[in-house]
Amino acid sequence: MTPLAIQLESASKRYRAGRSRTLVDLVASNVDRLRGKDQDVHSAARGKIDATLWALRDVSFDVAEGAGLGVIGRNGAGKTTLLKLISRVTWPTSGVVRVAGRVVSLIELGAGFHPELTGRENVYLGGGLFGLTRSEIDRQFDRIVAFAEVERLIDTPMKRFSSGLYARLGFSVAIHSNPDIVLVDEVLAVGDAAFRRRALEALRQIINDGKTVLFISHDMWNVRRLCDRILWLEDGRVRAYGPAGEIAERYMNEVNLAALANQGVTLQSHRGGTGELRYTAIDVNDEGGRPVTALAQGATLIVRASYRAEKPIERPVFQVAIIDVDTGLVITTATSARSDSPDRVSGEGAVECRFANMPLRPRQYALRLTITDSHQLASYDVVTAGPRFSVVGRGLGVDSLADEEDGLVSLPFEFRHTRAAAAAPRS
Amino acid sequence: MPQRTDRAERISPAAYWELLMNLTRREVKGRYSQSFFGIAWAIAQPLATMAVFTIVFSRLAKMPSEGVPYPIFAYAALVPWFFFSNSVASGTLSLVTYRNIVTKTYFPREIIPLAQVCSRLIDFSVAAVLYLALMAYYHVSLGPWAWTSLLFFALLMLFTVGVTFATSAIDVFYRDVNPVVQIGLQLWLYLTPVAYSLSAAPVRFRLFLVLNPLSAIVEGFRSAMVFGRAPDWQLTAISAAMIVGVFVIAFVMFKRMDKYFADVI
Repeated sequence: MTPLAIQLESASKRYRAGRSRTLVDLVASNVDRLRGKDQDVHSAARGKIDATLWALRDVSFDVAEGAGLGVIGRNGAGKTTLLKLISRVTWPTSGVVRVAGRVVSLIELGAGFHPELTGRENVYLGGGLFGLTRSEIDRQFDRIVAFAEVERLIDTPMKRFSSGLYARLGFSVAIHSNPDIVLVDEVLAVGDAAFRRRALEALRQIINDGKTVLFISHDMWNVRRLCDRILWLEDGRVRAYGPAGEIAERYMNEVNLAALANQGVTLQSHRGGTGELRYTAIDVNDEGGRPVTALAQGATLIVRASYRAEKPIERPVFQVAIIDVDTGLVITTATSARSDSPDRVSGEGAVECRFANMPLRPRQYALRLTITDSHQLASYDVVTAGPRFSVVGRGLGVDSLADEEDGLVSLPFEFRHTRAAAAAPRS
Repeated sequence: MPQRTDRAERISPAAYWELLMNLTRREVKGRYSQSFFGIAWAIAQPLATMAVFTIVFSRLAKMPSEGVPYPIFAYAALVPWFFFSNSVASGTLSLVTYRNIVTKTYFPREIIPLAQVCSRLIDFSVAAVLYLALMAYYHVSLGPWAWTSLLFFALLMLFTVGVTFATSAIDVFYRDVNPVVQIGLQLWLYLTPVAYSLSAAPVRFRLFLVLNPLSAIVEGFRSAMVFGRAPDWQLTAISAAMIVGVFVIAFVMFKRMDKYFADVI
């Protein structure tokens, strides 16, 4: 049996909500404690409601060495608290947290860096925070700098670094600090796509080396690429713990259902435009016209939007934009007078925008819909946060990490290789 | 009962020593980077105060200085005083200032206030070098008791670290501590025989001054470095006992509080 890297036994963590206590309360509670009275009961009896908040409640699970564990859940579910318990930054209110080995926590990259010091000095400072000695850092130094790709700036004060470079160096120091357990909290949102990809590969390599990675992310796709099991937290309790694919699917379904149920609300918020012509419903459908929340790569996507006009509008332009939730706009489409724009709308109707053989990469997307006048100058309606959908890949799990393509879209491509007849002699 | 056991804690004491050195370096560099005179600023504070004290206490108030030039008499006490005062002043805020790393990584928390104290050692050393120059200028030579300054340095270190542990830990929970400390330090300077000598203080205040561990320290530095005579051993023993007591209580308190730092900071 593989030894355990992390073990939690009904661990709970309680925080005091609201204002910090004052010195007077401290003295009073210490007096109570000296008298052997229960603090909470007593302060409640005094009419002081000591509001507490259970960030984690009765959480038990084991992680074997060499495993990748994804931690998912809505904001405030207790994910970060869990990481703090494991990294020994904070202590459980009750229960047991057992950790085998050196833990490196990537909660905030470059947290220990000093902006006045150079990159080189900060590598030593940051490495020290992760428990490395000077000679250990000496050995790793070139690799750290090369991974972060900051060779040119290494002797420049960090305050001249961009935030992306700052985080890159922080990440690089952390993963080169010879950890047994790496805790990652949504930090891969920084840096450019190429760095994110290399960071994921580095984490994958750490798992292959028999180390343990805990990975908090809202990006189900990355979680599935990296982790074989997922812990789903909800309101501080374990909602589910099991194989990554299965849990991720359940989670996505539930999140998407919730989003669909709230679609009316979603459409109301972030709403702009003059309102003479408004969308009343927006559906994401598959080729057969069935509503979907996830589509396979290369499938057909149909966005169907119903509208209602308060008064007749001449030649409105309907726009549908697809936005990558992580990286931004992918494409904006619009009806045009030449082909498909109605000359005049009044009352209710619907438009459909069809994307055939959708080449989007497996990620999360949101729709943005607008209706403008014929010159696209005035907006009748702007739905900033439209419905979401995800594109799922063909090869799920870690296999797809070896994909030979990356980026926002898949385009048909083909390589040809030509070998020069003979190496030309240098003259 | 909350507990936590770790099978393999592979971080060596050497790594924590390294971290202390790194944080100290970070403090010193951060303090003096982008300043033209750099580390030379470390002598400005005791030197300027020495000048003011000389004018106010020696020239105007005719304070006796036991037969040595007043400037060197004051300076020998100002150097350990500013070491203590600056360490405590910045040390009190240190855990809150470093909340970024306190809430994000684990390491023994006492390293943070310790680094503040260590960073002031640099200032102390630079100011001590100037003291040697003053000795030459005023023709004061090192006496046979100069070695006792090492003892007083050890006491100074222990007391400074103890006080800094206490104030930095409490400041995490109650930010009231910082203003109290900053004001308290200003008063403390005058309740310590820095500008005057202990023997010049009125007898009715003497007991009060003896209860201040810094009295023995600054008087001890002066005996060792300025007068070249044996320290007042009785006073030193009383202070040493108090200092050890303060340090032990402060350290135990710090270690009991430190597991809650990340939650309340």
